[in-house]
Amino acid sequence: MKGRGRVAFIVSFLAPAAIVYAGLVLVPLIRAFEFSMFRWRGVSNKRTFIGDENFRNLFQDRAFATALTNNLMLLVGCGVAVVALALLVAHGVRGEGRLRKILRSIYLFPQVVSVVVVAVMWQFIFNPHGLFNAGLRAVNLSKWTHTWLGESAWALPAVGVAFVWYALGFYIMLFAAGLEGIPHEVNEAAELDGSKGWHRFWRVTWPLLWSVKRVAVTYLTINVMNTFAIVYLMTRGGPDRKSEVMLTYLYEQAFVNSQFGYATALATGNFLVVMVLSLAILFVFRRNPVEARP
Amino acid sequence: MKRAIFTVCLGLFTLTVLLPLVWVLISSLKPGAEILAEPWAMPSEFRWANYARAWGEAGIGRAFVNSSFVTVATLVILLPIGAMAAYVLAKYAFPGAKAILGTFLGGMMFPTFLVIVPLFLLMRDLKMLDTMHGLILVYVAYSLPFTVFVLTGFFVNLPDELAEAAMLDGCGHARTFWSVMLPLARPGIIVVGIFNAIGLWNEYGLALVLLPSERNQTLPLGIANLTMTQQYQSDWGALFAGLVIVMLPVLVVYGFFREKIHETMLAGAVKG
Repeated sequence: MKGRGRVAFIVSFLAPAAIVYAGLVLVPLIRAFEFSMFRWRGVSNKRTFIGDENFRNLFQDRAFATALTNNLMLLVGCGVAVVALALLVAHGVRGEGRLRKILRSIYLFPQVVSVVVVAVMWQFIFNPHGLFNAGLRAVNLSKWTHTWLGESAWALPAVGVAFVWYALGFYIMLFAAGLEGIPHEVNEAAELDGSKGWHRFWRVTWPLLWSVKRVAVTYLTINVMNTFAIVYLMTRGGPDRKSEVMLTYLYEQAFVNSQFGYATALATGNFLVVMVLSLAILFVFRRNPVEARP
Repeated sequence: MKRAIFTVCLGLFTLTVLLPLVWVLISSLKPGAEILAEPWAMPSEFRWANYARAWGEAGIGRAFVNSSFVTVATLVILLPIGAMAAYVLAKYAFPGAKAILGTFLGGMMFPTFLVIVPLFLLMRDLKMLDTMHGLILVYVAYSLPFTVFVLTGFFVNLPDELAEAAMLDGCGHARTFWSVMLPLARPGIIVVGIFNAIGLWNEYGLALVLLPSERNQTLPLGIANLTMTQQYQSDWGALFAGLVIVMLPVLVVYGFFREKIHETMLAGAVKG
């Protein structure tokens, strides 16, 4: 676009957004890396430069190791469940029929409801007297009832169930779009060749979903590694850190213990873990199996 | 046979999505003691008073007003400045334009918790901790990346000829934007507005850190605090009524704009 007063216009139109963004996003981002090299409890003048000591402590911090392990277990458990369920349901949200229409209009409900509602709701479902245990008793499975959120073995899986319920809709949407994107001719050709059922799924559909899978796995990794509210509200990371995740531990260090320097190092560590995992995903999905063929 | 199994699976899935939500809705009308005593039973009587207590004594009404104010005020600032920046970045080629756009979009990549400590200390030093205007500014800043991303997409697709014609007619750059280009981008503004409104209404992490006191708390904070205080008073009826008050407006809005919201989510996801 040309015309008089161009420069003044560009500057004046960019300035408001740029100032707010630079001041409240970019400056804290830069300071995050700076803070992580100090021992600091947030009181001005009393910060000591300690270089990489926070990071070395991080490697020896048992609680951080526990939190990271829990994050990774959630990633594997929820990841498999989400991909399998999302693929299954994605086949069902297309087409006609009353059930499919209902399904289309509700499958994203859990995603648009506040994560606080999700967490509180599941806290009550998993309450010793909650919906889940009462259901088990009603079908004579009383011996399977547990204090789900209070027992070391069950707290993390219970949180995982709530997470899957919450996150699934987004991935259904992704996979449904992916299925939509498979060209008609391909499906017709497969039909003519007599490929159907599992055979067709593994030989035709699954490879063609390559780019959707890559996006889905990347998002899952980011979402699970950055889980906070569900865990914080359902279990506070308990019992005995059995459901602690990186961000609940970060919150505790920063806003309970006022270890601001260490908490920022935790945040940086969390970010690096996500980066490494994302790069690994890019590597795994480096070649499109469909395009690779001559 | 296979078809039948698949249909049963879909039915079960639909039930799994709806059951917890319907349970919350029904429980919100029960006398509090029945919620955990007989979770699967229908209410012995409908206690609409749960809603009155949630709204009044439990502080959900005040939180509702706070949340509405924060959401609306954020949008009122965010949408104009986001659209202005997006327009310039989409339609004006100048040195550094790509880098600036990239810096904005980069904000979609990292989680807010990476910067939560410096942000908290910054707001404290600016004396904006525990104030609604502080939270609003932070919300504007952190909603900009997605807003700029969607709106540049809209502006790029508007034909240059329209703006050029307006400028030949004697409009300046700014006038061309406000009276010609911005109205044409209205569908984009609406989508971005709805999308951000839902996200802001539900936001928890930033509000938790930046609004420590009860006076200013938003709805998600109010509900979260209620679960803790009600552990001593066990007025579960009011708590469940509160849950419905938080989620119902969002579900209604979602119901109206479903297709648009899906499109926007997909566009954001595939690009990111």
